[in-house]
Amino acid sequence: MNTRARSSAGTHGFLGEEFLTWLWFRWETDGGEFTTTGGRVVGVALDDLLTFAAPSDDETEQTLRHGLPTRTAEARTALRQGRRLRKARLIIAEGARQWTATLDATTMVLTGVRLPEDAEETESDQDRTADRAANWLLLHEIVRLLYGQFLQQRLAPGYLGAGGEQQAQWMAS
Amino acid sequence: MVAIRRSGGLVTLFYAGRLPDPRRPAFAAALAEQRFRTIENAASEEVSVGWVTALDPTGDSFAAADLDAGVATWLRLRIDKKVLPKRWLAIHRDAAAKAKGGKLSARERRELRDDLMQRLLPRVLPTVNLVDALLFHEQKLVLLFATGRAVREAFQKAFFTTFTLPLEAADPLQLGLHTGLGDEQLTALERVEAVRWPDSQGNRVTVTAARPAAAPPTEAASA
Repeated sequence: MNTRARSSAGTHGFLGEEFLTWLWFRWETDGGEFTTTGGRVVGVALDDLLTFAAPSDDETEQTLRHGLPTRTAEARTALRQGRRLRKARLIIAEGARQWTATLDATTMVLTGVRLPEDAEETESDQDRTADRAANWLLLHEIVRLLYGQFLQQRLAPGYLGAGGEQQAQWMAS
Repeated sequence: MVAIRRSGGLVTLFYAGRLPDPRRPAFAAALAEQRFRTIENAASEEVSVGWVTALDPTGDSFAAADLDAGVATWLRLRIDKKVLPKRWLAIHRDAAAKAKGGKLSARERRELRDDLMQRLLPRVLPTVNLVDALLFHEQKLVLLFATGRAVREAFQKAFFTTFTLPLEAADPLQLGLHTGLGDEQLTALERVEAVRWPDSQGNRVTVTAARPAAAPPTEAASA
């Protein structure tokens, strides 16, 4: 199945879907550990929600919930059909901090976000607000840096013969 | 004080241009200029949108401490909406039709509605929606804690009215433009086409770049 449909909002919605599918690829093949610029080490895993984009306007999206949807035969079949992820629940970790969030790849909107637990030393609401604001910003920064890392590969002239080829083999496996 | 949320959905918005330093009085003054104004006693269907703070939902004050969220500035937009309750309208319409002994004409229905709006709306309380956002001045970034389109647009409009700066939602293109790509990559980003991942019915693995719908099929890049 050749997937070139741009069913997503905007002209670059497909790129968000490719990013999310790439995260899955990197998680399964490299363990999902990313070292971003500045030496920050971030771990990413896919959790209990996957939505595959409809290959065309006439076809349906496919959503898999609960348990380990990445391990299901349905998910593997979707990948073999060349389908991209439109939405996924992610677990993102940096040091002792962990976020969970569902990323809608076509809009880059995050829903159902859970921030890390408040730091122990936060005693007042003012402290909690400052701590949470820093964690919201860090989540944005992590997503931005991961996306930047993806784009560095994706926009490189030799992508289709290198990283793209490897991902294609993984999807077909 | 209450603390900012630690869960929920968010939309990332970018702005370009200069904003008053949130720690300076000019910033609070700009918010106060577009402060929330109550429609509690309004006798017509209305929507009121304006800034308040987490500590003062009336929009009467914008103390620097109420806006302070450490690395960020805590913005809160209040959106009140007053509408005539449809059920009350239906009840009164049914009663009028019963009293008349038949269906109301279009004119009678309109007059009844106008009369009800004058009598009922001053007694109807508006619905209140408080929308939070964190503004990161250094990063020229706003994280808006609302994912609905109508609320996002109301926030963008209020922000523009207040600071004369448009907010751009961080879709895959906009976010890409904020990842520090070089000039060549930026050009590639604007022109990039979707990868057409293969359908591996056989063992052949092919990756091809997608083309616009009208274009002929692409050659396989590799096998």
